[in-house]
Amino acid sequence: MIELKDIEKYYASKGVKSYILRHVSTTIKQGEFVSIMGPSGAGKSTLLNILGMLEEPTYGSYSFMGEDVTTLNERKRIELYRNHIGFVFQAYHLIDEMTVEENIEAPLLYKKVPGAERRSRVADILDRFNMVAKKDLFPNQLSGGQQQLVGIARALVAQPSIILADEPTGNLQSAQALQIMELFKKLNEEEGITIIQVTHSEVNAAYGSRILHLLDGVIKEDVNL
Amino acid sequence: MFRINLKIAFRNLVKNRVYAAINICGLAIGLTAFILLLLYINHENSYDRWSPELNRVYQLRERHDFFTPDNKQYWQEVNDSKVAALVRENIPQFKYVTKVDNTWGSGSSIKAGSSDPVMMDYIRDADSSFFKVFDYQFLQGDPVTALNQPNSIVLKQRTAIQLFGTDQVLGKEVKIVMWRTDKGTPMKITGIVAEPDMPESLLFDAIMHTGEKDKDPINYTNFCRVYALAGSDIDTAAVNALLQKTYVDFKKSSFVQRKISFTDVYKTGKTPGLKAIPLKEVHASPPFDISWTDQIKPVIALSVFLLLISVINFVNLATAQSAQRAREVGVRKVLGAFKKQLMVQFLLESAIQCLFALFLSIALVELLLPMFNTYFEINLSFWYSHQLLGILTQLAAVFITITLLAGLYPAVVLTNYQPVAVLKGNYQHGFKGVRLRNGLVILQFMIAVILMISIGVMKLQTSYMADKNLGYNKAQLININTNYDEGFVNHIRRLPGVQYVASTTQVMGNVFNMPEEISYQNQNYNMNTVTVTMDALPALGVEVVNGRMFSAKYGQDTVNTVVLNQTAANLLGKNIIAKSYDVKSENEKYTFQIVGIIKDYHNEGFDKAVLPTIYKVTMLGGTSSTNNLLVRFNTVNYQPVIKAIEKEWRALYPDFPMIYTSAEDTFQQQLKSSHRLVQMIFLFSIVSVALSLLGLFALSAFMAERKIKEIAIRKIMGATDFQVINMLNRSFLILVALANLVSWPIAYVLINKWLQGFAYRIDMPFMPFLMATFMSMIVSILTITIRARKAAVSNPVEALKYE
Ligand SMILES: Nc1ncnc2c1ncn2[C@@H]1O[C@H](COP(=O)(O)OP(=O)(O)OP(=O)(O)O)[C@@H](O)[C@H]1O
Ligand SMILES: [Mg+2]
Repeated sequence: MIELKDIEKYYASKGVKSYILRHVSTTIKQGEFVSIMGPSGAGKSTLLNILGMLEEPTYGSYSFMGEDVTTLNERKRIELYRNHIGFVFQAYHLIDEMTVEENIEAPLLYKKVPGAERRSRVADILDRFNMVAKKDLFPNQLSGGQQQLVGIARALVAQPSIILADEPTGNLQSAQALQIMELFKKLNEEEGITIIQVTHSEVNAAYGSRILHLLDGVIKEDVNL
Repeated sequence: MFRINLKIAFRNLVKNRVYAAINICGLAIGLTAFILLLLYINHENSYDRWSPELNRVYQLRERHDFFTPDNKQYWQEVNDSKVAALVRENIPQFKYVTKVDNTWGSGSSIKAGSSDPVMMDYIRDADSSFFKVFDYQFLQGDPVTALNQPNSIVLKQRTAIQLFGTDQVLGKEVKIVMWRTDKGTPMKITGIVAEPDMPESLLFDAIMHTGEKDKDPINYTNFCRVYALAGSDIDTAAVNALLQKTYVDFKKSSFVQRKISFTDVYKTGKTPGLKAIPLKEVHASPPFDISWTDQIKPVIALSVFLLLISVINFVNLATAQSAQRAREVGVRKVLGAFKKQLMVQFLLESAIQCLFALFLSIALVELLLPMFNTYFEINLSFWYSHQLLGILTQLAAVFITITLLAGLYPAVVLTNYQPVAVLKGNYQHGFKGVRLRNGLVILQFMIAVILMISIGVMKLQTSYMADKNLGYNKAQLININTNYDEGFVNHIRRLPGVQYVASTTQVMGNVFNMPEEISYQNQNYNMNTVTVTMDALPALGVEVVNGRMFSAKYGQDTVNTVVLNQTAANLLGKNIIAKSYDVKSENEKYTFQIVGIIKDYHNEGFDKAVLPTIYKVTMLGGTSSTNNLLVRFNTVNYQPVIKAIEKEWRALYPDFPMIYTSAEDTFQQQLKSSHRLVQMIFLFSIVSVALSLLGLFALSAFMAERKIKEIAIRKIMGATDFQVINMLNRSFLILVALANLVSWPIAYVLINKWLQGFAYRIDMPFMPFLMATFMSMIVSILTITIRARKAAVSNPVEALKYE
């Protein structure tokens, strides 16, 4: 599903190149649950952003579902977001002016899903996440864990084939974190959704099927569990 | 999608309600001025459009130099009455031609039965074709035959109701008295016409047919207005070429009869001319005054500026807020929103604010219209206006333009945020579009400063004009609208309190200039001539510079002596008292002796220079009496004297009310038009300055809010409140100073141009420039400080905890 070949990323400042990623090549297949680990500043977020096409690599090629996406125009990229990619952020990034229900509905609006289906899908997800009672609340009326649940629900509602999550539990207590991980595992196993997450926690990583260890921009280890 | 966007827009408005309120109110004020202007323009554009037939009606204009303020040639709407017959016989394209009185502003008295006579300004005498050319709707009577018989009259419906209390008056009689000593003519009412629902350039209360207009005088010229109805759509250029040719031929043949040569008459750069202009264009092209389209140009500029200032406020606040919205943009993009969709969302938000502003401004317009109407002596209305549909379309266009102007740039800034920058969480707090925003603040303050300088200079010029010595004494002087009649004058001259009674053809408010060429010491000069009675110059209270004024002691004063004004004397040179000059007439030569020189006095606005003028008591120069009877009182409390004069008048002329104006009122009237402009600019300036400051206030408030954390940290590091306030002030003050710098030369050029329009003006003063700069700096410092203080004195711990 994902094929990275010789990805490099550097920032040039005052003529000095500082490398963030070097010679990153890897393949991620449909249905995998990959955790990216490594010390702070190793380039984990950068790698995930490149996978999510939020950043472009300085060098190398990236193909997503058989299509070369190394450089894509904004419109094509956003079409991929609509149909295939769901993002989950450490800081949740819900839209403050929208209620829980509206936040979850937003991707479907952009995807132009008809009204009836939209409502039933949102209701479905709310139900599944046990959030029906909270659907009319605004993000600032929820706890962090609840907000992240909404964030995940929002990523899932458009039925993506892959979820990219950058430290999804970084701001949460361990009990809530475990709940989110259980959810990821379930989604991965039951619905076959590919998941790539960045995490600092061994425990979280253990929920996945594969771990990429990143050190100074280089993949040091690639472990299948 | 639309619904949810709408919802979000509203939630955002509520969240930023203070800024939204500032935006909306600012825009509403800008829009109000603009809508008022639109209404005014629409009104002025609606003249002579009350019937589709009027598309084929034309007004004839002859080019001549009679009745002009400066003895130059103008295309005038009062023509030689012979023009009508000329057009009727030679221009087949015109089906009907009609002659109608120009009323010259002197009313006629109309009397129904035994009731009191009523003065009406516009009772016009016309020939029988009037209603064939003008398609008035007859409520009673027959348009074809109404004016066929002499001594018939057609009333406007409101005139009938005013006189009789009803419009069922067909066949009744009214008595018309056209001047003081007129015996009066009974006229039979043969028609009642409806008042058109749109304004007319040819106003009338009634159209009468005395029979005077059926023929042309042979030995002299009768002046009237001439209108023609084209049979079908015509090629105006071709018709005008034909008119011109016909007219020149006519002039030539008439000169042959009078044994004058054509080239002699038109040698001094003057040319004969006759043309037809569509009736629809008449109102926009008055013969002497600048047309309303030119008059309102500065007002248009002002309203556009005002709107611009409020739009700038809007853009500045919106871009300042963009940092707040950036995260939302990033998230929406990764959720699958195209740039275009986000664009629509942000434009929708601007549109909602603009729509609020629009509604608010419509309410404001409704509120202000009565005041506006009295001030400009006009009758505008919003909902009852005949072009409501037109206005609504115009408003829709304005709405869309404003929405795009105000919303497009912020929307572009916002939608250009890249998700990664925002979502990484480390995106700069740096505001996008800082440079543009600074530019806009400068522009805004430039407008405000230029306006402030302008009002300063304008105030100085107007007070200069108001206090300027007119050269005559306008206190205790009235002008009765009538001819000099020895009998009546003797009656009132005896009244206690009356010092002088006199007549002149030249007094402010009613000037009748006569050009004349004189030959003095073998050189020709173009002069203006004024005919006066013996007492006129002392009655006006003008000053003698040299020699003497007219006096009954000198018998020759009624024959061939003249008094010159200073300008005329300067033209002729030094030592001219007791010298003589000649005037050549058709076959004779008259000689006049100069007996005195008086100081120039003003009888037009200060925009016009005083003409070189010759004053004569004699009738040899040939000029008619022009309905000025000056009465000077030797008491301050002259109201009872006027009452006494009125009593004398009523005894002599019971059917014709006395009309008079005081010289003081006439002068104020004269000042009014330039005064209005000044006051309007004054109002606009105040509002513009207030809006600019409001914008600055909001912007600094916003900056302070964004900088709360920085301020808190600085305070913890030991900065004083003063230092913090200073920090916030500095960034804006540089902008305001820059704006001042740019404004000075622009203001200088603009104001200089305005001042050039006055023949009598002040030198460019320096004070307003200084004042404007001083004011703009002080007020912005105050504005920002109020806001900055609030941020500075807040407890730093609170701010940090909050973040
Ligand atoms: N715009 C940029 N310009 C220069 N350097 C950058 C830029 N963005 C990121 N970096 C650098 O890239 C490196 C990798 O950053 P990245 O965010 O990928 O680290 P990370 O592995 O996610 O760390 P953490 O666990 O702390 O989130 C860091 O050293 C960072 O300083
Ligand atoms: Mg990271």
